[in-house]
Amino acid sequence: MSPSIAPADLLSRVQRDVERAAQRGRNGLRYAAGTSRPKLGQTPKDVVWRRHKAELWHYRNDDIKVRTPVVIVHSLVSRSYVLDLYPGNSAVAFLLKEGLDVFLLDWGVPDEADSGNTLEHYVDEGIPDAIAAACEAAGTEEVTLLGYCFGGVLSLCSAARHPELPIRNLALMATPVDFTKMETITALVREGRLDPEEVVEPTGNVPPDVIENGFRLLKPTAEVAQYANLWENLWNDEFMEGYQAMGQWARDHVPFPGAAFRQTVEQLVRNNALMEGTFELGGELVDLGAIRRPVLNIMAERDHIVPLAAAEPIVDLVGSEEAEELRLSAGHAGLVAGRKAAKITLPGIAGWIADHSEKA
Amino acid sequence: MAGKPLWRKAFDAVESRAAGPVEAGAHSDVVGDLITLNVRVARRAQQEVERRTRRLLHMANLPTATDVRRLSEQVAALQRELRELDDRRP
Repeated sequence: MSPSIAPADLLSRVQRDVERAAQRGRNGLRYAAGTSRPKLGQTPKDVVWRRHKAELWHYRNDDIKVRTPVVIVHSLVSRSYVLDLYPGNSAVAFLLKEGLDVFLLDWGVPDEADSGNTLEHYVDEGIPDAIAAACEAAGTEEVTLLGYCFGGVLSLCSAARHPELPIRNLALMATPVDFTKMETITALVREGRLDPEEVVEPTGNVPPDVIENGFRLLKPTAEVAQYANLWENLWNDEFMEGYQAMGQWARDHVPFPGAAFRQTVEQLVRNNALMEGTFELGGELVDLGAIRRPVLNIMAERDHIVPLAAAEPIVDLVGSEEAEELRLSAGHAGLVAGRKAAKITLPGIAGWIADHSEKA
Repeated sequence: MAGKPLWRKAFDAVESRAAGPVEAGAHSDVVGDLITLNVRVARRAQQEVERRTRRLLHMANLPTATDVRRLSEQVAALQRELRELDDRRP
């Protein structure tokens, strides 16, 4: 027998459902018309360094409690605004609130002129120059380097190849090193399948839709599940803001410079060179063991793009005595965006950085 | 707090059962081969279309995609040279 419902409860439930139906209609219309898209990447900042398409942004903060600035290095294939979505859902704003001095290295959107950019371009030039600019802008001698996704790979290589760089701490988020554990996303360019040249378009770069389709192939039913989530929560303004922001970011990839892509496929994917110790940049072996500074490896347990197993070996590969792990119950983007990020990931990262930095 | 609506429970039940096999299918060698084949066929088809239309367009004194691409490559090369010069500037 089903439990009876008091008339007052029934009335309030009907009232709630009617209200939600009205909100659903309003939000559905706004979503379809695209009139309620949140403005992304709005935290106030200044450009303090620029080279070709790359820019180093310095976020304004009047309440700096940690003197050592944080330089975030973003990936090459996605937009950096995932780190600064909108007020209330911004990793950058969270770090600023914790008293950190935050810089973000954004690589821009590569075009034909950037197709020749090799990994050395980013590792040996971009990151070292950006670190120098950050030190100058912040008036400090050291920085904490925080790499996200492929930006983590670049940061790792930069720290290994340039021990002279003033990096006090190295934090890596969702950073793959064992590419054999990323079989699904790399399967198409493994030996015997597609040649890198077949994926590179006439501009010399890998088009963003190839990257987007590669990610989509990882979880083919995810898009349908997202529509179900959308229908279920269409009445909820807060959900809609997050849904639209993440949806926009997930469809907003940037071209992968062809030269860097060829190196990535040949060395990292086909030869798993970071794990084998055979990774070469500028004709020299990249020795991750040369990294002696404190390292924090932040991994997402539900990351389907960079699985745990692909990121796990970092602490064993670096030569640091103080190499720690932070495993979080989140997905790839969930490390930096969403409610869980604000409650779990970001406090953990900010705490580690503050503990390992010079106080203001 | 109210639970999930009935339609959502039904959806989740279907999705949780279908996701595994669909993912396994999408990650299978067969799908990998089909994607590889698709990329190659599309590329060859584009090259063939360009080859066949090139003469016609040139007869009408019109630029082809290949011509535009070459120009674009030259502009990109110029841009790179400018950058190199700029980088060398003290």
